[in-house]
Amino acid sequence: MGVKIDPLKCNACMACELACGYHRDDAFALLSSCVVLYRAKDRKDYYGVMLKEEESLIIARPEGLEVNRIGAVDEGSSDKGDASAKPMLLREACDLCDDRDDGPLCQQMCPVGAIYQD
Amino acid sequence: MDLYQPYTARNHGLALVPEPGDRAGGLAPWSGHPRIAVYTGGGSSHSWLWLVEIFERLGFWDLVFADEIDVARGALDQVQVLAVSGGDTFGMARALGPRGAAGLESFLRAGGLYLGSCAGAYLPLNSSKEPLNLFNWVPAKITNLSRHLPRARQMPQKFCTPYGCSYVFHPVREETVLEPTGLAPFGVGQSLRAPLYGGPAMIASGEVEVLATYQGFSERTRFLVDPELARQTLLGRAAVIRSRLGRGCLYLFGPHFEHPGYAEANRLVAEAIYHDLARTGWPGRQAAAAEVPRPLEPGVLRDLRRQVSNARVVALGLEDHPARWRIGRKLYEPAKFRVFCEALWQRLRSRRGALPLAGDPEAVEALTAAWRAIAEGLRALKRELALEQDTQARAEALFSAINRATADFMDIYFRNAYRRLTAPAPFRPDPAPGRRLPTGDRQRRQA
Amino acid sequence: MEFLSSDNVGVLDLATGEVSEDELAEDLVAEKIGGAAINAYLYEQHQDADPVVLGSGLLTGTLVPGTSLGLMSAKSPLTGALCHVPIVQYAGMELKYSGFDYLVLRGKAPEPSLVWIHDGIADVEPAGDLWGQDVWQTVDAIRSNMGDEMIQVLAVGPAAERGSSLAAVMNNFWPGADRFALGKALAERNIKAIAIRGMGLLEVAEDEDFVERCVELLAKVKEGAWAGKQGFADLAEAMGRPEAGGWLQPLIHRSRASFNVPFAYNSFAMIEGDPSVLTEPDIDEPGVLVSDPLGAMALQELGLGAAEAAGLLRDCAKDGLDAANLAALCQAQGKTDAAAISAALADIDGEVAAPSGPFSPWAPAQPLLADFGESGDAWWQRRQAVAYIMGLDPIFALMSPELSEEVLVEMAALGTELDITAETLDQAVSSLLG
Repeated sequence: MGVKIDPLKCNACMACELACGYHRDDAFALLSSCVVLYRAKDRKDYYGVMLKEEESLIIARPEGLEVNRIGAVDEGSSDKGDASAKPMLLREACDLCDDRDDGPLCQQMCPVGAIYQD
Repeated sequence: MDLYQPYTARNHGLALVPEPGDRAGGLAPWSGHPRIAVYTGGGSSHSWLWLVEIFERLGFWDLVFADEIDVARGALDQVQVLAVSGGDTFGMARALGPRGAAGLESFLRAGGLYLGSCAGAYLPLNSSKEPLNLFNWVPAKITNLSRHLPRARQMPQKFCTPYGCSYVFHPVREETVLEPTGLAPFGVGQSLRAPLYGGPAMIASGEVEVLATYQGFSERTRFLVDPELARQTLLGRAAVIRSRLGRGCLYLFGPHFEHPGYAEANRLVAEAIYHDLARTGWPGRQAAAAEVPRPLEPGVLRDLRRQVSNARVVALGLEDHPARWRIGRKLYEPAKFRVFCEALWQRLRSRRGALPLAGDPEAVEALTAAWRAIAEGLRALKRELALEQDTQARAEALFSAINRATADFMDIYFRNAYRRLTAPAPFRPDPAPGRRLPTGDRQRRQA
Repeated sequence: MEFLSSDNVGVLDLATGEVSEDELAEDLVAEKIGGAAINAYLYEQHQDADPVVLGSGLLTGTLVPGTSLGLMSAKSPLTGALCHVPIVQYAGMELKYSGFDYLVLRGKAPEPSLVWIHDGIADVEPAGDLWGQDVWQTVDAIRSNMGDEMIQVLAVGPAAERGSSLAAVMNNFWPGADRFALGKALAERNIKAIAIRGMGLLEVAEDEDFVERCVELLAKVKEGAWAGKQGFADLAEAMGRPEAGGWLQPLIHRSRASFNVPFAYNSFAMIEGDPSVLTEPDIDEPGVLVSDPLGAMALQELGLGAAEAAGLLRDCAKDGLDAANLAALCQAQGKTDAAAISAALADIDGEVAAPSGPFSPWAPAQPLLADFGESGDAWWQRRQAVAYIMGLDPIFALMSPELSEEVLVEMAALGTELDITAETLDQAVSSLLG
């Protein structure tokens, strides 16, 4: 069970990212967050949210959810090496804020209910 | 409790006043602050930075950084310890070659201490395969070797590496539970944990000592094969062994005892160093007269910070890019650039107080030029990725350059750190630590 | 200054590129708190060099809801007096994390330049190749050259280069909150753009208590009347301008928030393509972010169609023009044809009404979707002053009575362990309002 993201509700405010950063660093920062707003295409008004879990990188965008298995090799790829690399290597996977009684802080700090759990 | 503090205190004390050594066996004991070489050459992955991190925390500040060329040129003559972390074992063996193997053997026979984990552990195990057979110094077999590849439960691209007609397979990844066997220096203690990222499980023979075995798994263990097969392959098998070669000694760690997230395992790395260097009779390097670092002009350091930060900006922007490059037997992703940048920035973040780099403006300027080129290279890489151009050659060159420039930085950084440690008291300012950085290491968790 | 701070005040000499740095004194924060109040203090300190001061609020970049604000303070070409222009969307937050609490830009660069701020480094870099480029080309070039799309660019366009009194500082591709022609002021100093990347960390005193209070505050804020509403149309309705909302609504694609601002008042108007389709557009420049709601409403008042107005907003964004002041000038000059206005953008200039105080009238002069128990100009000026000091988004400040002065003072004191009181805030506000 992990957190879920509704990309159509998300208003791109990054509160989740800051909340996660606090969970990671006990301070306000953004570089350690496992939930990250994808905001590189602002000229097209196109954005989404990436969530790093233990085994997957979830990309929630308007088209829907994309689940990328971490380290997976594309079908038909000639890359058969031992991939020790991971996307967002320095960011820990989501642990659902396991040290908080109230659950994930990102969920609590989302102002529009775009983050939830089943 | 800060598990590192007693080691830091002892090591910093040793830098000034060597302790009496253990004269058992009639060998002249080593008794000072050890000089440790960290292998950064061909085949090594970024995980050598873990060694840097824990050695810094433990107070082992007399660090040098050696690649295959340094080893061939006799760099090991000047050190007591060689630490080799993860990466591509074949790549390491190929890079070191016959000259490197000869240098390493001579270092060991003279009384040096080898600490190898993961790929660094596979390297000196007996093997019939070229070029690994240049390094046949430890009679132990690995249990995670099979002619018939088991079925992968997950991460099929990570769970095995071809080894001749067979495969080295990795039954689990992430955290494993280990049990000390009672032998010194680990002694009898509670079980401990350390992560396994492809390192070996071993069966020792001859006079090889088993210091710890795989005892079990934890909630953080990821099974890459059937759990029953993982148990058969790992449990009860050697996770850490010690072996002698001449007057020297090798510690081979299957799991990453140097992973900065595992303080108890890190502590045992320090114990291994103390234990064996006090006995092996390595003649030791005469302590150099303490030099008082000359402060750098502020602009010199600022130039370096500027370029490293420029690289850091791009590296952060690349960390979620789906590109991948095959380099040797490993797949590299853009996120790895950030690992190097952050390792430097952690040590450059202070703007005030005593400078982290001092006394060698020419070397710092050369480093700045290297990082300027890296920042420009990363920017070019980003542009080429956006245009969907072939980036293989540029990525390979950049990983090589960033690895080398990081090692060069660490060389200067620790030379200065050790100089500060051994300088006369009035000239021994502590560097201002600077503001904390986002690292994901929670203060409370560390405490 | 240990908490909610990078402990760094920089002074950058634009002529030489030399930077001096100093700690952010706790005494100064205990007296002025932050944001515009400290910007104003630094402006006075460096007044001999006619400085531009960049800074952020004390609570900017924290989990206190709505704390997105950065500030650019300088003498306005329109008023001749010190003004404070909000740096909104993500740029204020990036500034807060850039390694500088405040950065004073002194003097004038000898050639067209870019100020590049990151990790406590502030560089003046030649930008001759950017001079003459429009804002969008400038943003693209800087991000491409520096290698990161997250870089926030405060750029000026051709309007500023030609010395227009309508020249505003843009916020990446989109309109910012500059009603004071600081775009012109930057161009006069040969500054084409200020690029910012924030990768730092802010320590918090009593961090667990602080964050739990943030959770409580957000829960209260979410009970506000804004909940369930978003975008230009709902904002227009809250202002008593429902017709403006209905006018633009058919073009609205999505609405998005500034950093940590619960209410998403920035709406993207899709000029080319179907606004109801949310997949990534094939077109590279499909529309414009309506991040200056009053600017859009001014074009509606001019009698333009929504698509015409959106197109003109996009042209203004590229040219670096303040759409609200442009509309006012067109109104005065009787220009109401969108195509003609667009074709003649470079020639439209003239005297525009200067704001009456130091704060940008970019934020509507009224409470929004909330009852503060009072309203009017004095109330608005004070509320803006509080927002500009603490780092609260100036529009969200008008819809969040839960973020009262008392609450903001409590959070400032909790986060810094400084003796910040209602009296401190009162004095800091007075220092801005005179």
